[in-house]
Amino acid sequence: MKSIKITALLGFLLLFSGALEAQITDKPEYGKIAIIGATVHTVSNGSIEQGIVTIHNGNIEYVGTDRSKVGSDYKVIEATGKHVYPGFMDSGTSLGLVEINAVPVTVDNREVGNINPNMLAFTAWNPHSAAIPVTRVSGVTHVLTAPQGGLVSGQAAIMDLWGYSPDSMAVDATAGMVLNWPSVRSGGWNRRTPEQMEKQYKETIGALNKLLDNARFYDQMMSEFESNPNGKVKPEKNQHLEAMREMVNGQTPIIISVSSEKDILNAIEWSNHEDHSDLNIVFAGVEEGWRVAEEIAEAGIPCLVSTLYTPTRAYDHVHRPYENPGALMKAGVKVAIMTGEVENVRNLPFNAGYAAAYGMGTEEAVKAVTINPAQIFGVDHLLGSLEAGKQANLFISTGDPFEPLSQIEQVFIAGFQIPMDSRHTQLFEEFLDRDATQN
Amino acid sequence: MNIRNIVAGLAILVLVTFSEKATGQDAPAHAITNVTIHLASGETLSNSDIVWRNGIIVDIGSDLDIPFDVYTIDGGDSLHVFPGLIDGLATWGSPEQPRNLPNLEDPGNPPYDRAGVQPERKPVHYLNEDKSISAAMKAGFTLVGLGLDGQMLPGQVQPFNLSSEQLTEAHLFSTSIGLQGSFDTAPGGWGSGAYPSTQMGVMAYFRQLMYDAAALQEHMNYFEKHPDMPQPEHSEVLEALFPLINADIPLIFEVDSKEEIERLFRLQDEFGFKTILVGARKAAPLAEELKNRNISVIASLDVNDKPKWMTDAEKESKDSENDKDGEDKSEESDELSEEEITFRAKQEAAWNSETQNIRSLIDSGVSVGFSSAGLSVKDLQSKITLLVDEGVLTTTELLKMMTHTNADILGLSNRVGDLKVGMGAHLILTTGPLFEKGTKIHTHVSQGVINDFMEN
Amino acid sequence: MKKITYIFIIIGVFSVSAFAQDKGSVFIENATLVTVTDDIIENGDILITNGVITQIGTDLSAPAGVTVIDGTGKFVMPGIIDAHSHLNTVSTNEARNPVTAEVTMEESIDPNEVSIYRALAGGVTSIHLMHGSANVIGGQGETLKLRYGSTQDGMRFDGAKRTIKFALGENPTRVHGQGNGILPRTRMGVEQIIRSHFDEALDYRVKREAYLSAKQKYESDRRGRTAPPVPVAKNLRYDVLNDIIDGEILVHCHSYRADEILMLMRVFNDYGIKNYTFQHANEAFKVAPEIAKNGAYTSVFADWWAYKFEVYYSTAFNATILNENGVTNSINSDSNELIRHLNHEAAKTVRYGQTSEADALKMITINPAMQLGIADKVGSLEVGKQGDIAIWSGHPLSIYSKVEQTYIDGTKYFDLANDPVDMRIDISSDDNYEESFTTGFIKGREADACMSDVFQLIQE
Repeated sequence: MKSIKITALLGFLLLFSGALEAQITDKPEYGKIAIIGATVHTVSNGSIEQGIVTIHNGNIEYVGTDRSKVGSDYKVIEATGKHVYPGFMDSGTSLGLVEINAVPVTVDNREVGNINPNMLAFTAWNPHSAAIPVTRVSGVTHVLTAPQGGLVSGQAAIMDLWGYSPDSMAVDATAGMVLNWPSVRSGGWNRRTPEQMEKQYKETIGALNKLLDNARFYDQMMSEFESNPNGKVKPEKNQHLEAMREMVNGQTPIIISVSSEKDILNAIEWSNHEDHSDLNIVFAGVEEGWRVAEEIAEAGIPCLVSTLYTPTRAYDHVHRPYENPGALMKAGVKVAIMTGEVENVRNLPFNAGYAAAYGMGTEEAVKAVTINPAQIFGVDHLLGSLEAGKQANLFISTGDPFEPLSQIEQVFIAGFQIPMDSRHTQLFEEFLDRDATQN
Repeated sequence: MNIRNIVAGLAILVLVTFSEKATGQDAPAHAITNVTIHLASGETLSNSDIVWRNGIIVDIGSDLDIPFDVYTIDGGDSLHVFPGLIDGLATWGSPEQPRNLPNLEDPGNPPYDRAGVQPERKPVHYLNEDKSISAAMKAGFTLVGLGLDGQMLPGQVQPFNLSSEQLTEAHLFSTSIGLQGSFDTAPGGWGSGAYPSTQMGVMAYFRQLMYDAAALQEHMNYFEKHPDMPQPEHSEVLEALFPLINADIPLIFEVDSKEEIERLFRLQDEFGFKTILVGARKAAPLAEELKNRNISVIASLDVNDKPKWMTDAEKESKDSENDKDGEDKSEESDELSEEEITFRAKQEAAWNSETQNIRSLIDSGVSVGFSSAGLSVKDLQSKITLLVDEGVLTTTELLKMMTHTNADILGLSNRVGDLKVGMGAHLILTTGPLFEKGTKIHTHVSQGVINDFMEN
Repeated sequence: MKKITYIFIIIGVFSVSAFAQDKGSVFIENATLVTVTDDIIENGDILITNGVITQIGTDLSAPAGVTVIDGTGKFVMPGIIDAHSHLNTVSTNEARNPVTAEVTMEESIDPNEVSIYRALAGGVTSIHLMHGSANVIGGQGETLKLRYGSTQDGMRFDGAKRTIKFALGENPTRVHGQGNGILPRTRMGVEQIIRSHFDEALDYRVKREAYLSAKQKYESDRRGRTAPPVPVAKNLRYDVLNDIIDGEILVHCHSYRADEILMLMRVFNDYGIKNYTFQHANEAFKVAPEIAKNGAYTSVFADWWAYKFEVYYSTAFNATILNENGVTNSINSDSNELIRHLNHEAAKTVRYGQTSEADALKMITINPAMQLGIADKVGSLEVGKQGDIAIWSGHPLSIYSKVEQTYIDGTKYFDLANDPVDMRIDISSDDNYEESFTTGFIKGREADACMSDVFQLIQE
């Protein structure tokens, strides 16, 4: 029992004092911090051996090897032999929206209705979800959390995983409009005939195109009014169309959830249509992307993909899911990794690890959980690499973070040195030697 | 001589034949003369005659001495007589499965019928109108092993003469020849289902039934000798299983896949019942074992149609033979992914082994008869054409399967299944070779009862 | 041209069915041998002869005629054993009665399921094929060797102990109580279902045995003075329950909450039942000392939690706490996705709880073997054990390592170097290429394998 080297005592004391304030973790540290001696994986600018990263006012202040940049008032974290990475971002989750999947009253990611562009994941984000601390101590500092269901599910948000309110945690409260591509695949429970599917597909796409046309008209009309309201009657506000304005003017990406080959090709054809050149399109899921990687690359559509699923077709090669991100990347697609998880977003590094091992390579797989998603969602000025001026989102690990044998020792989010505890560690501390005081 | 006229005249006599039966005196006989007679073996007797009286064949051969009281159909040298075809198992006229069953209070302990266990049921009590019967007659079937729609143990199988499109008790050919069985789970929908709801549940339930029936039979035997002991309770269901336990009648079991047949073997090993497989569309890998166990098959001819890409490819190669300067049309197939190429290779192999299934069984020495098992007459003809065209079965083999072998499997070959003296008069008069396009059934005789199909 | 390709592929692919139940011989030299029960052997050699490990050591030489594999840089470890799987069931839950001890997964094996091959590609050689968790006392399990291409009987693990599934908590109370309005609706009812059925089974045994001896007496009494007994039919369900009480069947109990784990141990102590395993057991860590004291085993997820209420207060440190408290614990998949990388699931115990690598590897080899009663046959590299092994490209707990070859009884069932597409065996000519995007690929916790076949019963 003594083989466990966990400093339980401190954890216990802070836990009890914290309980009085209805908090589930310790307080973070904040201020001037320097991490020295580690291999610094900047992502944007190679790796620096014996590197130094300083943090000030929530931002990265300096990345390099110059010891003189560390002022005497900095709290120094000695990390020789260790590794520093930018915080990882999961590009597709329902974290914070779902607490317990089997308890419907705790599931807030699926609104009633088919067209819900005005539903905001940001609104349902529960900053106190027990899964958030569990996730962030794994080095995942940001997630895209997304609503699901219907044709237009609502808007996903990019959230960081430290804070007490959605407002303080949101990096982008309206990061992308989620669209579920109407599927024409059959099999399994789906017993529609090809003709029925084709008909339904055309109807759905017709409705979608009309919705977009209405949104474009609405956006022009409102923009015209807003630029010069004088002498004009204020048009009535339309909640749905109002929510879509940033999407039709290309500011907010449209995240198309699509899986099978046929559906991907349909979605590409639709995306390539000149009517939709104003849209900023991203694909999510894309499990059969490897079948049509060239086509996706040609269309210039970034993909959010995972690896830990079974092959989509019975006859597929056994490693296709692991190989999918690498195959897309090699075809020229910008790839970000997602888990699609809620409580186990902490498996993001492992999803990336399989991508790395099966064709993507570690360096590119690291990008797929850092700078790539930041670029895809236009938040790369804040996240995704270790560069002076960006937010201090980073972690220290004992080795390659994709390796389960490595430990994530310390996480920083927006400059906060995050307490490395969660319900899981707390239960561990309490129960590892449950009856210790009786012995 | 105009055959039509004679047959028209005979139509009235059908009724006469019926009522005469009861008198025990010789009724007028019937004969078909001057035809090619095909025996179940494939052997043919040209320019021959066949005579039957009271539903039984009394003479067969060439230049027969036709008695004075025989109504004769002259085949005019061009017609053929075949033994009447036998469908080993069909469920024509079976009442529709009840829909919207009420939910059970204790779905884990359903009444027998709600578990799909109804071995006491006899088709003769459930004869509804069914267009399939006249369609089968017109296709040459004169006898059927009639069962019931149901699940695990739907009921008993009773052979019926197909001499009328509305079957009645009068058409019964013999007593029950078996119990129908399958691995189907208890009836009912999501709310109304019951135990057993899985195949492993069916296996367990079947075992328990056999144990319960054995105990009841033992109790009854004891009680017969010791009327002072507590008396056994009557159970129609369990008592209907006694002949199965005692291996008096077979379990006529609908099953296709290798794995399911292997599971049936397990049950057979435990309880020692006799069994006949119905369908058995993927039984070939077990052919040797079936032979060793002396299990017969009344096979389904319901093979899948050739995959579309295969027929397309055949057309294509024919086209390119015809058009030697034609462009290379195989371009498209060259673009196939590795997955699709393999998929096709496996599909082709699967199709070949599916179509060869019956061939493999026969070649291994398994006795293979025939059951329509839900296949319509219309589809049956196209499946026969496919099997003959692909060289899987000859029409002679098909004839034997559907006549003598089927009768043999059902335990009726001493009474029906071939054309010889003493056999029931089950025969068909056709315009040409059986199973060939254009051949029409001219006259249909089931246990001596004549139906004329050239009338309309 | 096309034809040639076909023939080539047919040969490559269909040879899979030629494996049957062959016992093979192979010699792997100069590899890192992860023995599991003993130290790691660097630059080691291992010989499997006719399906059995006959030599382990260094500087051994291969007997003539035995295939030699260069293991330089590679790791050889025992085949992974998954103590909780529904990998290739025909059906999983006979969910219409809270007690179905009489059904058995032995009769629900699909030997043709392509997931078997996918598990082999993850280095798995044996699984415990389990009944689902709809019932308090579910069906019997069947331990399989993943001899892909064999028959359902050919997949069975000869000599494995008989097992049975029990299930406590939300699943049986949802299916039967909430779904059908019968016992059990609560954890109180779950306990009483178990007790009442054991009691009924014991009563039945008394009556059945009395009948059998009276029958024997009656039949041997030639003078006919003995009255015959009223027959008591053999009862399959009660026979199985009595076999549990007699210790012939190992119970594997789906359970989550600490209180229900304690309940079952109380009940089993009352009936003298030993050698059982708590499956999932997300809250086992809360009662680890009690589990250890009773000599019970646990088989848990590496990190699944929060997908339902009874696993909300659980932790990814569960395995570590149990291990540190002396409980023999295994890591299982209960998923056709997780089974592809159980090595990785075991490695998570190192990441989260800093369990030793040696113990982490035990959790997917010798520990599950103990729980299934096959530890004398597999689960470690030891002379005399069966030749079920996997060759890894690197350390088996590294995410970068791949399974290069998987052997069962010394016969190769997976080879990364010869790993074609389309490994399906049971093919129907009406399968549709396009429609084969089928039965739903599995992602995360979307599929509750333990509850397959019964989702319809629990719709509210």
